[in-house]
Amino acid sequence: MLKKASTFALLAITLGLASCSKDPIGDLSTEESLVYVTNHDKSANYTQYKTFSIVDSVLIVENDRSGTSLDDIDRSLLQRIITNMQSLGYTYVSPKSKPDVGINASWITNTYLNAVSQPISSYYGGYWGGGGGYGYGYPSYYSYYETSESYWLISMVDFKHPNTTDKTYNVVWDAQIRGGGIGDSQYIDKMVDSIFGQSGYLKIN
Amino acid sequence: MKKAIVIIALVLAGFSGFAQEAPKLYTLPSPFDRYTHYLATARLMGAMPIGSFADSYIDKASFQNASVSIEWVLRNSPLSIGGEIGSTYFQKKIPRALYQNGDETVSAVQTRTLSQYPIELFGNYHLLGKNSTIQPYVQLSGGVSIVDYTLYYGSLTTQHQKVAPKYGVGVGSKFLFKKDGSFGIDVRVKYDGTSYKHEYIEKGVSSVNGSVGVFYRWW
Repeated sequence: MLKKASTFALLAITLGLASCSKDPIGDLSTEESLVYVTNHDKSANYTQYKTFSIVDSVLIVENDRSGTSLDDIDRSLLQRIITNMQSLGYTYVSPKSKPDVGINASWITNTYLNAVSQPISSYYGGYWGGGGGYGYGYPSYYSYYETSESYWLISMVDFKHPNTTDKTYNVVWDAQIRGGGIGDSQYIDKMVDSIFGQSGYLKIN
Repeated sequence: MKKAIVIIALVLAGFSGFAQEAPKLYTLPSPFDRYTHYLATARLMGAMPIGSFADSYIDKASFQNASVSIEWVLRNSPLSIGGEIGSTYFQKKIPRALYQNGDETVSAVQTRTLSQYPIELFGNYHLLGKNSTIQPYVQLSGGVSIVDYTLYYGSLTTQHQKVAPKYGVGVGSKFLFKKDGSFGIDVRVKYDGTSYKHEYIEKGVSSVNGSVGVFYRWW
């Protein structure tokens, strides 16, 4: 009698736990997974800028290494930025003709190494007295996993008012594009249009 | 459906005095009347967010909820006391919109979720006897809920977890399949409140849930 009841209870618990494994964002399309984050210098007066230029390739930053890249996707990103800036009223000039603002584009990847330990770990170090001078050894059940995250970072730099004291140029606007489809060339136009689209204050015409 | 008809038929039979007319084969009361016995229930629930929780975070009904409970039905008393553990889950996807996060403007499709694993003690007051085929009851419960607030911006996540106090008030009824039997159905409507505050949730989580369960009792 009791056995029957416990089987029943166990079944119920199993059913309950089975309903816990969820994938809330499983139904998001690639486009829906994209996140656009923009920020700007509140004191900047964009109407004072007339001309702009843009880097000739995309800066690739991966942890502490960096380099440049200009493949198809980078080229279409840069081209789309130019189109958007022009339709906001800025004039595209060569970097040599002293543009008022410059646009940087980077692809940034951060890789983290994470350690997972099994329940018995050094957290209990002090509990057992610690007088013996023993630590804990970490056998093979100590494991590592790596996560990495990439995003586009596009920023607008003010060349018109260089900060002469510490020799820097102020970033007056920046945008991050994050999410699942950021490396997919079919979404490049959509991504670039979105970051400019949500930054109406950039418009000067 | 068939079972429902049987139950209704049993009810009608009870009211028309049919039971009293049947020959009395047993004079001894049922063991369920004589002993404190145990009762285990497994429930599936539909839940509807209400109040400010619905207004400010998720207003979409959820059917991904379940619970298991065990209770002690006390001898010579209309009361039973027990414990219930469960799992409830609310989710809502908000179309792409702009959000202000400090100075940042964020454009994203939000997927709002709230999972709870309530652990409660409850007391039931039964309005009719233990061998009545229909046993309506009122319920008061209190305990804690392990709350997981996970908000997705696109595929990015922000998460907050907390153990928060929770309480509930319910009305329900047990329906025995067979008079003096061990199995039956439990139907309950309950108000659940959890005092949890985080970001969008400013005044706690409240919902009304309706559940259908099956129970088994033994002594």
